[in-house]
This record gives sequence, structure tokens and C-alpha cells, in this order.
Amino acid sequence: MVETFDALLNGFNVALKPINLLWGFIGVTLGTFVGVLPGVGPALTVAMLLPLTVKLDPTGALIMFAGIYYGAMFGGSTTTILLNTPGESASIATALEGNKMAKAGRAGPALATCAIGSFIAGTIATILLTLIAPLVVEIALKLGPAEYFALMVFAFTTVAAVLGASTVRGLTSLFLGLLLGLAGIDSQTGQARFAFGVPELLDGIDVVVLAVGLFAVGEALYMVSYQSKLGEKMEKLTGSLWMSKDDWKRSWKPWLRGTALGFPFGSIPAGGAEIPTFLSYATEKKLTPHPEQFGQGAIEGVAGPEAANNASATGTLVPLLTLGIPTSATAAILLGAFQNYGIQPGPLLFQSQPELVWGLIASMYVGNVMLLVLNLPLIGIWVRVLTIPRPMLYAGILVFATLGAYSLHQSWVDLLTLYVFGLLGFAMRRWDIPVGPAVIGLILGPLAETQFRRALSISQGDATVFITHPISAAVFALTAVVIVAPWVVRRLRRH
Amino acid sequence: MARRLNPAEIALSAGVLALGAMAAGVTTTLPSEGGYSGIGPNFFPGLIAAGLLALGAWLMWEAFVGGWKNRGPDDAVARGEHAFERAGFLWVTGGLFAHMALIGFAGFVVAGTVLFAGVARGFGSRRAVRDACAGLVLSLGVFLFFVKFLNVNLPGGWLAPLLGSAGI
Repeated sequence: MVETFDALLNGFNVALKPINLLWGFIGVTLGTFVGVLPGVGPALTVAMLLPLTVKLDPTGALIMFAGIYYGAMFGGSTTTILLNTPGESASIATALEGNKMAKAGRAGPALATCAIGSFIAGTIATILLTLIAPLVVEIALKLGPAEYFALMVFAFTTVAAVLGASTVRGLTSLFLGLLLGLAGIDSQTGQARFAFGVPELLDGIDVVVLAVGLFAVGEALYMVSYQSKLGEKMEKLTGSLWMSKDDWKRSWKPWLRGTALGFPFGSIPAGGAEIPTFLSYATEKKLTPHPEQFGQGAIEGVAGPEAANNASATGTLVPLLTLGIPTSATAAILLGAFQNYGIQPGPLLFQSQPELVWGLIASMYVGNVMLLVLNLPLIGIWVRVLTIPRPMLYAGILVFATLGAYSLHQSWVDLLTLYVFGLLGFAMRRWDIPVGPAVIGLILGPLAETQFRRALSISQGDATVFITHPISAAVFALTAVVIVAPWVVRRLRRH
Repeated sequence: MARRLNPAEIALSAGVLALGAMAAGVTTTLPSEGGYSGIGPNFFPGLIAAGLLALGAWLMWEAFVGGWKNRGPDDAVARGEHAFERAGFLWVTGGLFAHMALIGFAGFVVAGTVLFAGVARGFGSRRAVRDACAGLVLSLGVFLFFVKFLNVNLPGGWLAPLLGSAGI
């Protein structure tokens, strides 16, 4: 405990350096700006802004990224409330009541409860992360490759097969990502695989190109093909920005309950903030003294899900930092950012580069404060960002999207790859195949293969290691339960 | 439930099958010796190829017996009532390919301007001159920011002599 506190204090020494404060500030501001853009979720925001950090030192870059991540989350909720266009599935629950509040002329309090709720949820979740991470690291240090492989399979399964509308389409997306992850040099033997003699492919497929292709180019192609003439109605920001006494009274409990729901869902590899946000929405609907207001713009229905969303986003960082396992598309892109610096997150990172890890965690406390201080006063600017006309908006997004891909090798081949992924993203969006599992598969697939082969190397090719090691066996058993349980429940309900 | 077959679902399922077959084909060319672990660089590709083939078959089966299950939100696009706007799609695609072709020799700024104008046109803008100007300002700003401030190398292309004489 004392050690954790010391480590965190050292982290604050890093995070409060003026230059790192500046990077955090730039990250929060840019993240909010891009996150506000309609149709741009946190995953795309992080992927599009990745090229900005290529020349920074790793600590500064990752601090900036933490800021971008939080900023994008906050910016997204502004768009959700005023435009009713959730940039990601985790914002849908916020949109239900938030947009109704805006329609009733209460956009100000809705945005305020989001901002303050995000701050409270983010801060509590960061405290929990601070306390839990060292414990997980203790355990993680004892895990071998077999256990890691089992955990990765568990993450794959929950993200692709259990969440989402269709198991088969989720798995298809995952396997597409795994296939793309094979391209390049095999890390164990140096064998080139799936490169087809193209030098750009020997480096492997960059997660930025895949994410930006699927999310930005795919979204642009989808919107231009089906909804280019769709008029959007933006709700005006009139009246007081501030929450009344009654608003406060109705908000603080949902904030705390949302946090309590969001953090655990984020931190176990059960992927995605979608479930806790809807759980929080349902909980608040049940507990509110004003059930008649639900569906008309009840502030509890904004405060709870938004807190759950933020707490879950922070929770995602627990498996990412301590185990090196990303459980959301955004976390996968963050892992890609780490890898660009030759850093592999995991328990060893806490020992080898404590300033970096704890500086990053400390910067999350700072970033939350910055967001709170920045956003409410600057809300007028963010609202103006929303009025950028559609043609200009998507044109600008694509200029940035292509920049990220081109700056990798200064080669048009990456731009062609980007377009191919754009077509893929278009088709996946149109025929309802989730894209998140593909991004996670691309990043996590090569890591899983390495752990699998390491485990078999240690056991001299004996494949029973995965079931004779108790932890690995337990995780595989859990994976099986997660797959079978929903099916059994459905069967039982029918009878 | 008698439902008409959806050609898109069948095409996509076939695409997944084709990818699986391609992966399987490549896998056969990879070496299998794997040292102590006993598995080589061809093991995971084989696993993934098998997975894709199985998933493609599963999708195809669903497409033939009543269509893909649990399709997402029941909106106008999903029901196919929203017509596909080919012109817009082609403008955006054209913009991206023009950018791809131009960026190497005409430079980042010119390519970005053309891309911007093309995408804006695709989204229904009719003010080509304004769009080109906006694209030029944005691309030039991004170019200067990356080259001067972040030290990232981007091609100057046609504008390189101009920028050079302006001392930039």
C-alpha cells in the first residue's frame, strides 16, 4: 500500500512537469475537439491523432493519449446530447434521455451532469485502478505463457462471440483481424507470412490503418452512399448551463451507481462499455422517484450511463496496463501506440519503467480535472464545432485519415490498403458485422500466437499444459461457461 | 419462413470462404518445423484458415435458411429502402484515388486539396471553389504543422519551390 502511494507520488512528479502538463492539455483539447465531431467515436479519435505523437518521447506521448481518450469520451457525449448521434454504442444509453432533455430546453444541465459525472466516475475509477493495478501485477508476474494464452482466448471469446448481436458475425470479424495480424515477419522464426512480396506488408498491418480505414473511410463511404441528404436537427443550447439544486440531488447517486457498474465491466475482459451503460439506465429507471419523466428527459438517465461509460473506459486500462490485453477497440489502438515505442504493456512494465506507468496513471487524475475545468466554460466552442457542414466535415476527416496512413512509410500502398479497409468497413457497417473484434484480433492475435508457441516450447510440445496448469484450466473452463451459458439460459426459458 | 435470398449476404459469405481458401493456400507454402514447441509458423495460419472456412460456411448456411440472424437496428437502410447513391460513393472513391496518385509527385497539399474538394462534392456540396479553398487552407496548415512543428517528413511536391522561396 505504502509502495503504491510512493509510486503514485513519483508518477505525479512526472505528470506535473510543465511539458507533460502541456501534452496532457493538448491531448484533452484535441481529443474533445475531434470527439465532438459527429460520427467520430473515441476509437477513431485516438487512431486519427496517433500520428501527432511520432516524434514525442514515450511518456509525453502516452500522457497525451490518455488526455485524448478522456477528451474524446467527453466530446462524444456533447454530440450525443445535442445531435442524438451517438458516436459509439456505449453512448446510446446517454442519448435516450440526454437528447430529450436538450429538446425540452435543458441541454445545459444535461451537459453539466455529463461533465461532472465523467469527472467523478473518472476520478473514482482512476483511484480504483491505482489500488488494483499493483495487486493484479503481483498475480500477473506469476503467470506463464499458458495462462496468458488462456486469458487472451477468454478476451477473444467475450469480445467477439458473447457480446454483440450475432456470434457468427462477431467471430467472422475477429478472424478477419487475426488473418490481417498474420501479415509480416513471424516473430519466432523470421519467416515472412502473407506479405505477397509487398515490402509495406512485411512490417505487418498497422492498427492505425485498419482502425482509420474501418471507422473513418468506411463511415464516410456509408454516409455518402445512404445518408448524404439526411438533415440533422441540432438542439439549441439555451438557458442556464448550471444544474439546479434539484438536479444535483438527482444526479449524485446515479453517478456513483454508474461508476460501480462501469468499472468492473471495463476491467474484466468482458469487453465494451455498452452493457454497463444499459444496466445503469435500467437501474436508474427503476430507482428514480420520477419514473414518469423517463422517456421525457430524466436527468438520472443521463448521469448514470455517462458515469458508467467513463468508469468502464478507465477500467479497460486495468487489463491493458497490467496484462497487456486490450478488451476494446480503443484499448487495442492504445496498445498499438505503446508498441510503436517498442513498449509492451504488462506486469514487467511496472518494474522496468515505473515512471512511465505511474506518470500515465497520475496524468489521468490531472486530465480529469483539466476536462472539468475546460469543458463547461468552453462548451460554446464545442457547440460551434457541431455546426460544421457535413461535406466539409467528412472532407476534413478524410484528409486526416489519409495523413495517418501515408506518414507510416510515405507510400501510396498504405493509402490503397486504407481504401480496401474502408470498403470492408462500409460492407461491415451496411450488413451489421461488428468492427471492434477485427481491430482487437489484429493486435492481440500475434501476441496470442507468441504465448501459445512459448508455452509449447517450455513443455517440449506437450499440449496438455493448457489444462494441467490450474489457472489456465480455470480460465478455459470459464470461457466455456461464457459461451454455453447464454445458450442454456435461452433453452431453459423456452421450456 | 420463406424469405427471398439476399444476394449481399451470399456474396459476403462467399467472400469469407474465399479468404479462408486463400489463407489455406498460403499456409501450405509455409514451413512447419517449429523447434522445441513442435509447431511452426504455419500452425496459426492453418487454424485461422480453418476458422474462416467454418465461419464462411456458417454464414452461407444462415443466408440460405431465412437470412442472417439477429440483424441490427431495423432502419430504412437495413430494409433496403434507402437507395444506394452511386454518385456520392464514386466521388469519395475518386477523391481517395486521386489523392493516392497525386501525393507522391504533386505533394501533400495539392493531393489534400483535391481529396477535400472531391469528398465535399460527394456529400452534395456544389461550391467547388469554396471547397477547394477550404481544402487548401486545411492541407497547408496540416502540412506546415507536421513539417515545421513535429518534424514529420511530408512531400512538398509542386509547392516545394514556392515554400522554399518563402523561407518555409
